[in-house]
Amino acid sequence: MKFDLSEDQDLLRRSTRDFLANEYPIEQNRKIMEQDPRGYEPAAWQRLAEMGYLGLTLPATVGGQALGTVELAVVLEEMGRACVPGPYLDVALAAALIAAAGGDQHAALLADVVAGRAIVTVARLDAPYSGAAPTPLRADVGRLRGRKYFVPFAASAQALVVTTVDGLHLVDGPFRPTPLTTFDPAQRFGEVALDHPARPLGPATLLARHDALAAVGAGAMLLGIMTRALEMTLSYVQTREAFRRPIGAFQALQHRLADALLRVESTRSAVYRAAWCLDAGDPDAPLAAATAKAYAGDAARLVCGEAIQMHGGIGFTWELDLHFYFKRAKTLELHYGATGDQLERALVAAGL
Amino acid sequence: MDLRLSDEHLRFRDELRGWLAANMRRPWREELRDPAATEDSLIELRRGWQRRLYAAGYLGMGWPAEWGGRGATEVEKAIFEAEMARADAPPILNILGIGLLGPALIHHGTEAQRRRFIKPMLSGDEIWCQGFSEPGSGSDLASLRTSARIEDGHFVLNGQKIWTTFGPWADWIFVLARTDSKDRYGGISFILTKLDTPGVTVRPLRQITGESEFGEVFFEEARVPQENLVGKIGEGWRIAMTVLAFERGAVGLAYSERFGRDLRQLAATCRELGRTDAATREKLGRLLVDIEVMRANGIRMLANLADGKVPGPESSIEKLFWSEYDKRFRETALDLLGPGGQLVRTSAGARTDVDWAREFLWSRAGTIYSGSSEVQKNIISKRVLNLPQDAR
Repeated sequence: MKFDLSEDQDLLRRSTRDFLANEYPIEQNRKIMEQDPRGYEPAAWQRLAEMGYLGLTLPATVGGQALGTVELAVVLEEMGRACVPGPYLDVALAAALIAAAGGDQHAALLADVVAGRAIVTVARLDAPYSGAAPTPLRADVGRLRGRKYFVPFAASAQALVVTTVDGLHLVDGPFRPTPLTTFDPAQRFGEVALDHPARPLGPATLLARHDALAAVGAGAMLLGIMTRALEMTLSYVQTREAFRRPIGAFQALQHRLADALLRVESTRSAVYRAAWCLDAGDPDAPLAAATAKAYAGDAARLVCGEAIQMHGGIGFTWELDLHFYFKRAKTLELHYGATGDQLERALVAAGL
Repeated sequence: MDLRLSDEHLRFRDELRGWLAANMRRPWREELRDPAATEDSLIELRRGWQRRLYAAGYLGMGWPAEWGGRGATEVEKAIFEAEMARADAPPILNILGIGLLGPALIHHGTEAQRRRFIKPMLSGDEIWCQGFSEPGSGSDLASLRTSARIEDGHFVLNGQKIWTTFGPWADWIFVLARTDSKDRYGGISFILTKLDTPGVTVRPLRQITGESEFGEVFFEEARVPQENLVGKIGEGWRIAMTVLAFERGAVGLAYSERFGRDLRQLAATCRELGRTDAATREKLGRLLVDIEVMRANGIRMLANLADGKVPGPESSIEKLFWSEYDKRFRETALDLLGPGGQLVRTSAGARTDVDWAREFLWSRAGTIYSGSSEVQKNIISKRVLNLPQDAR
């Protein structure tokens, strides 16, 4: 037994951290988030492709690295930590779903994804607000008509995987989505009006594994996000002085930081255990994945919120990077299976 | 990463499961709800159960072979605890002797002390309690004032210990006593004292559950032979601290098993009561997720132990997690059950699956004993986060 990453996995972590520090420095990330309507920068995206990140878990037949969920979690944690904007998680999830559907007819599309030539994401939500009456999509003689909401990076997508009541469909773009602008500048969502030819991709049962992978992937990003927020806060409380001592010397803050560490480390246990379970085909995988996301969502919101509070006024400014982490955390919490959905999945998986 | 138990550990686990199936009369919760059960009968049941575990080689597993050990590692000990919890086995009686004093004697005791004390400790013939806390010294343990004056080959003890778990049933107590009033840490010694020594009085204290599992111990000119000193004079604090680290092994797995079983009961009861509404599901879901996180933490700890890592201050995270969770769990359970949840075990109408009323009360203890939540947070902020000495 061993919880630590293997040598190869650890090398991946270190090289990813270095790569992101060079190719995705925070100044550049801020520029993309604040100014680029696409929400990602094609040249930097291309660099991800060159380094093999875009086909991390995809089979070698389409140019992928055929690595596992643990490796994907390592990369996503680093991306969360470095506050990398863009569709990496969304594309990784869509591509894994297409690969899971099988069939040679999608190999060309996957090869384009791996090479950075195509963005593909999953169009899932049938309503913008929870509780609103959904009008689920239905395929009608090879055509999809209707609306999907909060489709990630729809404006840049060459194709979308669209969920319908009859299963999954692949729809080619371009799409002209109405932008749904959230408070998270790292994400681009759109409302997509579909009246498009669609190819059947596979049965809705494929979504079970996809949902688990999405939960672990988002959980890993949340882990990176809260890890960084805690690091920033720890360094701040050791330098910022009040009443002639560093504020980190006050027990009121120390105990809250201890709580934050408990949440960060517990998330780490839950996320990597879930990733390992998925790779090992462990029967606990669905429960572990739902657990990871439900816990990580709460933990990241709390840790990032505490980070803002402990920074005081500067924590509420646009200037400090912290708010990007706070916003990403909340958006990730609400997507990829929101907490309420994960709790229900966990109960079902546990037979309760 | 590899979170699978090794074949050898799987074998150990399966063997233990087989042994439990063949040797355990019935789950602990059924023993507790037996109308004929009394505090004394349950103590004797635990003593008998401990003897069987000892005879089967499951106690002191990590100790040298001559002291009943079988060269087991922390991994096997953690698996043992998890399996005991999974089977809802009765707890052993000499928890503090085997958990704390045993390691202290093995690492710091004399050969004569090991020969004298370890066997009866393992067999349950001599029950130990722990004399650390005092009325004025809880979290700030090093401020303790019970004194040990040296007088013709004896320690003469004066003072008072409190919250002494098993005090009312114990035969012996290991005492931290002050041999030098000027040296805060270096003036403390670790002394073994028989509770029937003249000048030693034990009084049970009634706990909020109505039970008297703990008590207080008074020392009035109690004379203890000097050979009952463990380690050297003034080494008591150091020994106590190393011993307390043993108390916090990998317990996350065991707790997740225990809580998991009660949660399954709670969920079944909610279904039975027709409570399947969204609010109930959300509460149950949150309780479940936290148990599964505890399990993940426990597996991580176990894997780290198997990987040869010594548990460090992260055991504080584990303790903080399970003890704070216990309170949330029991409070939520009473909310979900409605008025019936507060019924005591012996009352008409009380549920027989889980003693929710008692668990609710007991959950207040975990965040206080063995280093309160506040002490655990101090440990995390100093030793893990390296924050400066606090200003309060």
